[in-house]
Amino acid sequence: MMRVTRDEDAALRVHAYVDGELDPANALGVEASMAADPALAAERERIEVFRRLVREHLPPEEPPLGLRARVEAAVGMRRPRMQPSWRALAASIAVTAVVASGATSMLVAPSGSNAAREGIVDAHIRSLMASQPTDVASSDRHTVKPWFNGRIPQSPRVVDLGGDFPLVGGRIDVVGAIPVSTLVYRHGKHLISLTAMPAAGHANSAPALSEDAGYNIVRWTEGEVTYWAVSDASAQELDKFAESFRATPPDR
Amino acid sequence: MGGDEDHHQRFTRLVLPHLGDAYALARWITANRADAEDIVQDASLRAFRAIANVAEGTSRAWFLTIVRNTAYTWLRNNRPSALMVVDDLEKLESEQVATTNLDRGTPETALIAKTEAASLEAAIAELPPACRETLVLRDVQGLGYREISQVTGVPIGTVMSRLARGRAQVIKTIGGKST
Repeated sequence: MMRVTRDEDAALRVHAYVDGELDPANALGVEASMAADPALAAERERIEVFRRLVREHLPPEEPPLGLRARVEAAVGMRRPRMQPSWRALAASIAVTAVVASGATSMLVAPSGSNAAREGIVDAHIRSLMASQPTDVASSDRHTVKPWFNGRIPQSPRVVDLGGDFPLVGGRIDVVGAIPVSTLVYRHGKHLISLTAMPAAGHANSAPALSEDAGYNIVRWTEGEVTYWAVSDASAQELDKFAESFRATPPDR
Repeated sequence: MGGDEDHHQRFTRLVLPHLGDAYALARWITANRADAEDIVQDASLRAFRAIANVAEGTSRAWFLTIVRNTAYTWLRNNRPSALMVVDDLEKLESEQVATTNLDRGTPETALIAKTEAASLEAAIAELPPACRETLVLRDVQGLGYREISQVTGVPIGTVMSRLARGRAQVIKTIGGKST
């Protein structure tokens, strides 16, 4: 430990006095010692001049532009901003069928909401821009399904559709702060992301087609899971994909 | 569901108002703006994950503690040379005992008062990390001794001596430059 001399101790008290950290009794004591000792009085003056300098030259900083948005996106409070050019780029590739599994305790966005839709489409677009659209690349559902174990709370339904819609792999997307499972299938030159969002308490619903950012989306709810299939494949093809997925038992 | 909504609201109320302070602290520690932004983002995510644990009145010191730890971890991983001094704090303390000098030879206050922003900033940046962060937390960010003790994880007595030493050294540097 350090050695504190009497002088040093007196000086520390002057600093604490200037900083308003002393109780009234100690403050009076320091005032008395400053009155008696010009060196301590000079120390006080230096500290005060220094503090004035800092206030003048180093005022509190505003965070840089964009930092707040970055932080909000990191904690799932807003959708990351995208460059419009991504769309053109991404539109040339794929259909993503997104299967989100349920993160039980931290469900944020209702599974049918616009926020979920945006998050899922964003995830699809991001996957097209990454070097790989999947975190696990395999056409074997016995490889893809176990991969999700331990990474997300629920085990997604993974089916092998073969033929027109071969399985490409899977990945985990984060939609509204919830990690969800997304399966990726291929159809010709298109990729399909199929995300499964937990939808506890939601009634089953038939596939409904919509569009966002130039992508076709088919959404349906089955067994308290809402499935979102996203792709730049045509609406008819995507609809066929949804029918095929729904009609295929997992254990086939 | 409500649970996570609450976390976002809590985060907005308790953490987001301190982003400026967090960024400034990270920048003083790393001396690099881009690194400071990455560190604040990383620290924010950690804060978000632990948001349920923070008490209402202590959120600033709590968040700055996370930022500080994140920044030092970052330095340790990316620029270990910047940290050599910190790893040997005991030595630092004992070698620096006599910096608070009251003798003549200390600069005139009139000279100090003429210091320009860039010289002041440079003089603070030159301080050993422990003195620098203490001085920045107190004089730039306005934390009390108790909060600084919490953020830096040292007793209040150590906060006081680091602060006094840091100020003395900066005053000496800028006083010397103005002559």
